[in-house]
Amino acid sequence: MKQPHISLQNVNLHYAAVAFRERSLKALLARPFGRATAASQVHDIHALKDVSLEIHGGERVGLLGHNGAGKSTFLKTVAGLYPISSGSLTVGGEVRSLFDLSLGFEPDATGRENILYRGLLLGLTPKFMRAREKEIVEFADIGEFIDYPIKTYSAGMQVRLAFAISTAVGGDILLLDEVIGAGDANFMTKAKQRIATLIAQAEILILASHDFNALRSLCHRGLVFHHGSLIYDGPIDQAVDAYKRANGLP
Amino acid sequence: MSSYFGNIWRARYFWCHLALSDLRSRWRRSFLGVLWSIIQPLGMTLLLALVFSRLFHSDISTYAPYILSGIIVWDFLVANVTGGALSFVQADAYIKQYRHPLAIYTLRTVLSSLMVLMLASVALYGWTAVVLPQNIGWSWLATLLIFPVLALLAWPLATLLAYAGTRFRDLPHATGLAMQALWFISPVYFEAKMFRRGGLDALIDYNPIYHVLQIVRAPLLEGKWPSAADYGFSLVAALLFAILAWLVGRRAERKVILYL
Repeated sequence: MKQPHISLQNVNLHYAAVAFRERSLKALLARPFGRATAASQVHDIHALKDVSLEIHGGERVGLLGHNGAGKSTFLKTVAGLYPISSGSLTVGGEVRSLFDLSLGFEPDATGRENILYRGLLLGLTPKFMRAREKEIVEFADIGEFIDYPIKTYSAGMQVRLAFAISTAVGGDILLLDEVIGAGDANFMTKAKQRIATLIAQAEILILASHDFNALRSLCHRGLVFHHGSLIYDGPIDQAVDAYKRANGLP
Repeated sequence: MSSYFGNIWRARYFWCHLALSDLRSRWRRSFLGVLWSIIQPLGMTLLLALVFSRLFHSDISTYAPYILSGIIVWDFLVANVTGGALSFVQADAYIKQYRHPLAIYTLRTVLSSLMVLMLASVALYGWTAVVLPQNIGWSWLATLLIFPVLALLAWPLATLLAYAGTRFRDLPHATGLAMQALWFISPVYFEAKMFRRGGLDALIDYNPIYHVLQIVRAPLLEGKWPSAADYGFSLVAALLFAILAWLVGRRAERKVILYL
């Protein structure tokens, strides 16, 4: 089988300003009659600037950067969710992503039902999900709550279940966005073990986090983003230093 | 193109689940549940048939199934036009997490409203069989084609509106108005002969809504086979929407996520 890989060549990504300006038929029809004021001028956001890099199988990559630096945008671009404006992006391998973990749960359905639903969202078959259900329930370890509706869950329990489902399913490329901080200490240890197992299967991990310790222990390569540009790409320890320098931290 | 439909097929478990969960939430916590989908149009039909048959001097026993067929098909179209415009907006949690073809989210709207229509049509068949037993015949089998024809019509239309609805969030208000206008110029409750009497033949002959309705009305109410024109107009309208949806989707599909 071909090794999973990610390759970006001069990738640029813009968020069109029109996407967050007032958007209605009324605004469209009124546009020719209104005068543009300085406040109404919203410019396109250049979220990724000329990013080029290669990631190969077995690599564990940490993403660093201030809020809004482009970490999440980068992850969502790799996941194929965001359309790039220019450059080229090739992603070889099945991508599994953990973003916005509580999204996509059905609050009225039980945890057990949601295991199936979320599996279907991830493009899996009902048969496969039923085979994995027991293992997912065990890993999430939320006791009898598994048969209660999701709306009765605490935020931490939701994250545990979502993590258990999303990581139970094999994928070549795992994208994580700030999810490590969730859950109690007990679960954190398990989560780390789980991620370690996934990486041991020679898959790519890309983790965005502000937790330097988690990054140091899980990743060996660091990417530092600063206002949409990739300013450092190298070993994680130096990446943390580069991040601190760029943001004026001690 | 074929890979696009391949991806839709691969996601079939997901959109089937979405459509079924729409139905579950629609009927959850109601005593009559599924039956509401049959009772609601029936009640409306009784009321309208009582009033309209007096107003227009029509025979209530035949006019009532006419209205009922109009109500259930019209409800289906309205559900897809107004619901379709919101399809992507409501599915934002899924769209932001996984890259499925966006057309599955309008397919969900089409499927769940199609199932409601199928249930409601049970009342139509039952009623017509009782009041117009002389019409029962092989042509009734042709009425079953209304379901695939409506699905082919509604899916691209809903998809087209979903793109527009993501870009312009006030679209549902505009479509509400448009549907009301369309209702007045189409033989949904009013009989086709009333339009013809007023010299408005064009509103009948070139109206896809009339032709779609004829697919059920001709066999059930007149005991005749639907005409080729009825299928022709419906399918040409469907094809037109499909081409438009494809043209819009080709440029807009990847950008939808930025507007959610």
